[in-house]
Amino acid sequence: MSVETPTASKPIEWRRYFRWNTDHKVIGIQYLVTTFFFFMVGGALAMLIRTELAQPGQDLLNGVEYNRFLTNHGSVMIFLWIIPVLAGLGNYLIPLMIGARDMAFPNLNALSFWLIPPAGVLMIASFFVGAAESGWTAYVPLSVTAPMGQTVWAVSVVLLGFSSIFGAINFVTTVLTMRAEGMGFWDLPLFVWGMLATALMVLLATPVLTAGLVLIAMDRLAGTLFFAVAAGGNPIFWQNVFWFYSHPAVYIMILPAMGVISEVFPVFSRKPIFGYKAIAISSMAISVLGLTVWAHHMFTSGMNPALRIPFMITSMIIAVPTGIKIFSWLATMWEGKLRFNTPMLFALGFISLFLIGGITGIFLASIPVDLHVHDTYFVVAHLHFVLFGGSVSAVYAALYYWFPKITGRQYDERLGATHFWLNFLGTNLSYLPLFVAGLLGMPRRVADYAPEFAIYNQLATLGAFLLGISTLPFLYNVIISWIKGPKAGDNPWEALTLEWQTSSPPPEHNFETAPVLSRWPYDFGEKVSPADASEASASAGD
Amino acid sequence: MRERTIFTLVVLSLVLVIIGYLVATQVDLSGLMPEQAATSSVLVDKLFNFLMGVAVVIFLLVEGALIYAVIRFRRRAGDETEGPAIHGNNTLEIVWTLVPAIIVIVISIYSYRVLTQIERPVDSPLVVRVIGQQFIWSFEYPESGVTSSSLHLPVDRPVQFQIEAKDVIHSFWVPEFRLKRDATPGQIDELTITPTQLGRYPIRCAELCGAGHAAMVGEVVVETHEQFDAWIAAGGRDAVEGGLADDDGDTSVAPDGRSVFVEFGCGACHLLSDGGGAGIVGPALDGISNIAASRVDGLGAEEYLYASITDPNSYVVEGFAEGVMPLIYTELMTPEQIDALVEYMLTQ
Repeated sequence: MSVETPTASKPIEWRRYFRWNTDHKVIGIQYLVTTFFFFMVGGALAMLIRTELAQPGQDLLNGVEYNRFLTNHGSVMIFLWIIPVLAGLGNYLIPLMIGARDMAFPNLNALSFWLIPPAGVLMIASFFVGAAESGWTAYVPLSVTAPMGQTVWAVSVVLLGFSSIFGAINFVTTVLTMRAEGMGFWDLPLFVWGMLATALMVLLATPVLTAGLVLIAMDRLAGTLFFAVAAGGNPIFWQNVFWFYSHPAVYIMILPAMGVISEVFPVFSRKPIFGYKAIAISSMAISVLGLTVWAHHMFTSGMNPALRIPFMITSMIIAVPTGIKIFSWLATMWEGKLRFNTPMLFALGFISLFLIGGITGIFLASIPVDLHVHDTYFVVAHLHFVLFGGSVSAVYAALYYWFPKITGRQYDERLGATHFWLNFLGTNLSYLPLFVAGLLGMPRRVADYAPEFAIYNQLATLGAFLLGISTLPFLYNVIISWIKGPKAGDNPWEALTLEWQTSSPPPEHNFETAPVLSRWPYDFGEKVSPADASEASASAGD
Repeated sequence: MRERTIFTLVVLSLVLVIIGYLVATQVDLSGLMPEQAATSSVLVDKLFNFLMGVAVVIFLLVEGALIYAVIRFRRRAGDETEGPAIHGNNTLEIVWTLVPAIIVIVISIYSYRVLTQIERPVDSPLVVRVIGQQFIWSFEYPESGVTSSSLHLPVDRPVQFQIEAKDVIHSFWVPEFRLKRDATPGQIDELTITPTQLGRYPIRCAELCGAGHAAMVGEVVVETHEQFDAWIAAGGRDAVEGGLADDDGDTSVAPDGRSVFVEFGCGACHLLSDGGGAGIVGPALDGISNIAASRVDGLGAEEYLYASITDPNSYVVEGFAEGVMPLIYTELMTPEQIDALVEYMLTQ
């Protein structure tokens, strides 16, 4: 996505995208463009890592450099890409989807965004003072003794934590108080349900990580001894604090993504979403259950052995609400009239890839299997199927789906399909072989490995470069289509959610007149076709 | 029509369950796992196979339904109609909530049973203290007082590892045993394993512990009781003599010192082309014989090298931190091994 290109032929002040602006749509685009930039930074780090791992032996990076790259790859992808890009989608879409003029706290909203660029610059600049090298997990005591860059890293993540928290305050307040007339909770689009569940988790869990990082920073800077073993500090304490946030973080990264998928399936199947309430409730169930599973990351840590069992059971149970969503999406397609536009391709890809991530999550929740595969490439493969195959597929689906709304123009479907297939093949090629490498005994986070793992790593490296290449048709498509794509019209997908009932791109205050909800958002398949409603204004693209 | 649908569903479910059963019990999945070298390996693999059976059924069910829907329900050209306005189906939704719930509860119960079998208390185990530090494993046998950098275990006797760390968190993992346990500073964690297969297996550190993490690889030797007793009687130090001898038949002291360098994993932290070391945690050792002679005024190369191995903090090279190199080499190595190592360094 390009910053410089104005959204339409009408002279729009492009400079506002570089300034403090309180319009949630401007902030949303600021989020999307900025985070996509960091996605490419994280991707470049990933390709450097995969180049080092293309063959056994240390070639490109030494042990210190390798650890710095892997730490910042993980941190950039999680804290500067997936979490904020989903917040960016929420920013752009929530007020439009619930018929509001803007967010509840527009200035706080601008602050949420403007914390991200300095935090991102700090994280990248930390390479100049010796970047963090103890993994995104920052386990103590390693992270307490690491060089200066670790402190810079902690400051960066604290800033991003505040950004998330401010955003969540805005999302919750906006959804609770600013819905259009006639819109009850059971009329909320499922993306909004997903964002609401996510925001509640952020409010409960993110402050814990932020506080924990402050403790680490104090140990490093002020000589406190929170984690010093000799003074009675306990490294397991940090693991509890870290995972109390960072496991919910996985759901923070997947619930909005699932919300996107729940928007795409009914529109491109021309059928109502199957089991609306079950999907909405399952999001809330995941958000509550998700707060009770964190210690499954610690089965090998020497935590209290008896406590492992309840954590295993809660982790397993999460499969149930997740399954409800997947089965409901399949049922939504059943007997539909499926249209395979690019958002639908990515939604189908989401199910296929996320399914593998979800099933392997059951293996990891099972304590005896986890004792073998914990901290191996099996975990690396699992988390990339969830976060790349799942969350990133959904982000792509969202970017294509709402592209006509955001820009007023239509993207190129053939480039979109090319992007999808490169991305889908690249994901499988990158991560499937790593399951085998992990099972056979390859630990994660190693700069070098035994020769017997070479074949799996070569395949994964090929896949990683395929993924790198796959972003090119996407970027080309977005830039060219934004500049001179065909006018899209207000509602090219014949969707029923409120954001499609205003012009593309929407006017400054979203709706010319305050919208009143007259129709349920997934009311497809009725006698009255929504096509009637949208045909009227084909030229209202500006 | 409805009866036909139910019939199809029943047949499909039966086929899926049979496939799952075959994957769990009949298909050979051993290619996905390392060798089974302990009682725990067999138990974990059985559970793993069961999970694979369940996984294959779910995978085929969802992907099958997805591909079927994509082909069967795709919009035909020119068809602008919409699908039926179906909002849900209570029976179906209850089924796909309850069935997965039952499956994960069954998996939890089975996992719990395997866990209790793996962690069942044993009588009179061989106690071995496992000490992790950047970037080497060392092992103490309290019964005999032996300390070693390689782990020797008698076959078929339960071993209780008491795992601890000196600096940061490490994780003790033998893939062939299927079990790992973190080594955490400030606490001792126990792990019980009964090795069942003679052989040599890698010990890998599974928790990121710093620059040399990838090189923190040890070896466990599972041997007969006689071999083990002989090894203990020899003070746990027979490994080097029979170890990595040079192939070219060179009988000078140099190859022996080189095998000491390799045996004790010096290359994890030190770069040394001849010894295969690629580490960067400590100073590079290429050309060390010349450097050592002039590093400290009034100290010869041999004395300097000896001091740097036995008391690493006595002369720390500029740009490297004090206290990083372990202080355990006088315990782990015989005086002859240290001498051989020093002589080898003098040839580099």
